[in-house]
Amino acid sequence: MSLPVRRRAAVVSALRELDCDFVAYVPSNSIADIITGLEDADGRTTVFPVSREEEAVGVVGALPLAGRFGAIVMQDNGFGNALTALTTFALAYHLPLLIVANTRGGLGEYNSMIHSVSEPVPALLRASGIPVFGLDRRTGPEDWHGVVAEAGRHARMTHRPVVVLMEFFDTAKGDAA
Amino acid sequence: MRRIDALGVISELGADLPVVATCAATSRELAAVADRPNHLYLLDSMGLTTSVGTGLALACAGSPVSHVITVDGDGSLLMNLGALATAGFLAPAPLLVVLLDNGVYASTGNIPTQAARIDLGAVAAACGLNVAAAGTPEELRAGLSAMLGAPGPHLLHVRIEPGNEPGTPLLLDDPVVLGDRFRTWLTARLEGAAR
Repeated sequence: MSLPVRRRAAVVSALRELDCDFVAYVPSNSIADIITGLEDADGRTTVFPVSREEEAVGVVGALPLAGRFGAIVMQDNGFGNALTALTTFALAYHLPLLIVANTRGGLGEYNSMIHSVSEPVPALLRASGIPVFGLDRRTGPEDWHGVVAEAGRHARMTHRPVVVLMEFFDTAKGDAA
Repeated sequence: MRRIDALGVISELGADLPVVATCAATSRELAAVADRPNHLYLLDSMGLTTSVGTGLALACAGSPVSHVITVDGDGSLLMNLGALATAGFLAPAPLLVVLLDNGVYASTGNIPTQAARIDLGAVAAACGLNVAAAGTPEELRAGLSAMLGAPGPHLLHVRIEPGNEPGTPLLLDDPVVLGDRFRTWLTARLEGAAR
């Protein structure tokens, strides 16, 4: 099993460990295995599609108001859509929420246009007061699992949305995203 | 029917249910009618109301909290029309959207929305929600009562006059305080049911 495949499995395992009640997604090829992996889980987590990322922030962000918790799986180019919802709802109302997003603006990205939105994403989020943690080819599945799980706990402990950006590309090893 | 009259009926029939209100004048007028812990005011979360109502309805499904009354506006819903698709896809039984449709962005100068020419109730019906219409306080009371007596997801399409209630005070509370008041109220009902 290739490293990217094992990393994706590690993310699924971490999200299961966090006991997310619901997971909303806007898909990407890089995270398809994460979405289907969660769908195949033990039935404790309900996974569903939304049409845009801000919608996911509304649906999943509301869960803590009822004592529940959820996560969003998406691409980082969707943060442009999500930023108003993240700031005026999740951040303003102190609602814990975990977002795991694959990057489209880093090493190995083939789409020359998508860098325009994806490269500034960490700076945009940090400028908005949203914590961002990064994962890339420098670490293995064990670290990916640990960071996603810790990020979920961090969201709950600090009552805010927390983002993990996942860079899957490793072109030197021939691993596609 | 003025919006504040519609909110009076909603507040009365929803006194023991979670009520989520869309931003700006709608939240302010609901708080002016009655400011209670079961109200969640979305002070400036543009277009998010039906999505938030859907999330709460998912969390309340199967609990004694039978309905989540979600007061949206035509302008707000049009900012996030995909929320109806997700509501229909997930179909949480407690979801009850009351769409106050005046055909304008009343909070921002009464500029027309697309609802002046299209039927948002028909859009909701196409997404699989149970839809009814109301144009008077009596029709609103009857329609809302009927929907509260049956599992959803529902959308009550209520035609109201453009304009805001003059003299309604601003809502200047910290959203963290408002949100926590609502959370405390709702989780007590959900946890009480779990005991």
